[in-house]
Amino acid sequence: MSDTESRTDGDAAVTARIRQNLEQTTVEDVGLYVVLLVMAAFYLVPIESGLVTSFKTGTAVIETAPFAPPGPSGFTLAKWQAAVDALLRGMGNSLLYAVPATVISAVVGSLMAYGLTIPNWKQAYKAPLLAIIIAGIFIPYQAVLVPLTQFWSQWVELTSLLSFVWALGIPNDYAGIIELIVTHVAYGIPMCTLLFRTYYTNLSEEMIESARLDGASLRRVYRRIVLPLSGPMFAVVLIYQFTQIWNDLLFTLVLVATESSPAAPVVLILAGLGSSLEGQDFALRMAGAFLAALPTLAVYIFFGDEFAEGVAA
Amino acid sequence: MATLELDSVTKVFQDGNDEIVAVDDVSASVDDGEFLVVVGPSGCGKSTMLRMIAGLESITSGTLSLADRVINDVKSQDRNIAMVFQSYALYPHMSVRENMSFGLEESTDIPDDEIQQMVSETGELLGISELLDRKPSELSGGQQQRVALGRAIVRDPEVFLMDEPLSNLDAKLRAQMRTELQRLQDDLGVTTIYVTHDQTEAMTMGDRIAILNDGRLQQISTPLECYHKPANKFVAGFLGEPSMNFFDVTLQDGVLRGDSFEYPISSDVQANLGDTTDLVLGIRPEDIELVESASGDHDFETVVDVIEPMGDENTVYLQFDPDAGEDAETLIASTDGFTRVPEGDEVIAQIPEDAIHIFDRATGDALHNRSLDDAETIDLE
Repeated sequence: MSDTESRTDGDAAVTARIRQNLEQTTVEDVGLYVVLLVMAAFYLVPIESGLVTSFKTGTAVIETAPFAPPGPSGFTLAKWQAAVDALLRGMGNSLLYAVPATVISAVVGSLMAYGLTIPNWKQAYKAPLLAIIIAGIFIPYQAVLVPLTQFWSQWVELTSLLSFVWALGIPNDYAGIIELIVTHVAYGIPMCTLLFRTYYTNLSEEMIESARLDGASLRRVYRRIVLPLSGPMFAVVLIYQFTQIWNDLLFTLVLVATESSPAAPVVLILAGLGSSLEGQDFALRMAGAFLAALPTLAVYIFFGDEFAEGVAA
Repeated sequence: MATLELDSVTKVFQDGNDEIVAVDDVSASVDDGEFLVVVGPSGCGKSTMLRMIAGLESITSGTLSLADRVINDVKSQDRNIAMVFQSYALYPHMSVRENMSFGLEESTDIPDDEIQQMVSETGELLGISELLDRKPSELSGGQQQRVALGRAIVRDPEVFLMDEPLSNLDAKLRAQMRTELQRLQDDLGVTTIYVTHDQTEAMTMGDRIAILNDGRLQQISTPLECYHKPANKFVAGFLGEPSMNFFDVTLQDGVLRGDSFEYPISSDVQANLGDTTDLVLGIRPEDIELVESASGDHDFETVVDVIEPMGDENTVYLQFDPDAGEDAETLIASTDGFTRVPEGDEVIAQIPEDAIHIFDRATGDALHNRSLDDAETIDLE
């Protein structure tokens, strides 16, 4: 009996609370929520439109509004099928350079930042080195395009240097993938170093000193103390670098050039996907765009928790 | 375990073109198994001294030797010294067990199962066995403190360094850990240098205390000797709570003349003073007796200004001349808790001659210290 009673009591309390909340709601509150809803819709409509478009047949694209769902007769998965067929090869190629370049630049950045913060090396050596690294962040892509082609076509000719690899039956277009790895690592190191450095300067100095007194060498301090504590910052750097490298079109255009190449990255193929003399296949382009964006989305979801922690730090 | 020797150790920090002398020509010898407490006000260089011993700061000049081996240029990780930091500095990503085994893994070749055995034994010694699998973030301040201590103990180093290890604990726990640390150090017999700014810790814990001010070693001796026979005015004022009363006086015809009083001294005391006439008279609050009526020339009429009851004792602020207002010279006396002295009352303060200290006003050096004839039970050596 007391059970029912307390439940009614509970219900009454909830109702009272709701009424109280409603009474306290002001015009400003209502206005705020309306603005927030409008903004959310504003940002989400393009994505929603793209997604529904990718499931439409050619006629449905013309006959329905961009944001309206296709309806049963206009629905098809054919465009996704076509996008997968066209892009899968490119996605493989992109992963081939994006993953190594991301990992290498993160590891090198972390080691570099460690050297610039934890050991008590003279500031006179550290400061100029840091200045050079920071300067690297501000060099625009456009400024290096010509030197970059010069470098890879005249100074370091991977196609002839690695001739033994091509002899194994690998198309020599894959030299472009190696060039992309090296270029992206070089370009990514400054930013990675800066991010890790900020994180390492906030590590407890006494903890590092304690580890030194415990008999650990500089290398062991990095391996056993600093590296395990770098998880959140690695998440930030990996997400940042991976997205950057995966989405970059400029270097791939310069270093790989053609979408017909066996080593063509996904961005190159995506750029020409669905456009032909007969016109634009919007549904195919949308499906391709979503497919190409999936890996970056996956990285965010995979490292999301650590990312939040790293950004907060 | 070994003797630690500091010979004219100096540390100079460069700040632009300025030179800051943090530790100035400190010489001291810490015997095997001795517990030395280094005490001084903030910024006196005591932490810098400890960090030099640990190898975390370079030594500008002088030599530091451990067991007759000069270790100035030996890296921290090769000194076999363990340090307990004020912030505990535990490794947050490791469990207590891993925190404690880290040092042994890095500094020795002992096999893993023996290390685990040693960690478990130390855990039992400190009563933290049930915490071994937790992370530092899951421990209270007191428990973290124990882990930090355990991490140092398990390594069985030649020297323990402790940098204000108890200052983050609440008063009750601090008192408890103070006793426990002393007992542990006694059992382990490891040479220990303990830095603190807390004079209770200094007085109660160490075999000897070293008092530092402005980077200079003021005195190094047993706690009681430092208390009763201070080498200078700084030491006299630093030890003791409430601190010693000081009055600027001038010696004239066997009488110490101050602003508010005249204090005749015997020829024995005068013999210690030499030709110096600009002096400072010091008297500890607990040596001042409050009496009913004046009976000699060491008794002075005063008025009670403020009284602070502490329970076991009262701290009484006395004024020689209440009409002088703000500028009136104050005399602080400690009386037992049952003596009731109403504020505003006139009392006679008796300053016994055998309890006075006299310092050179220019140099601060002690010229005459209290006699300890009536305190023969105190073992000063």
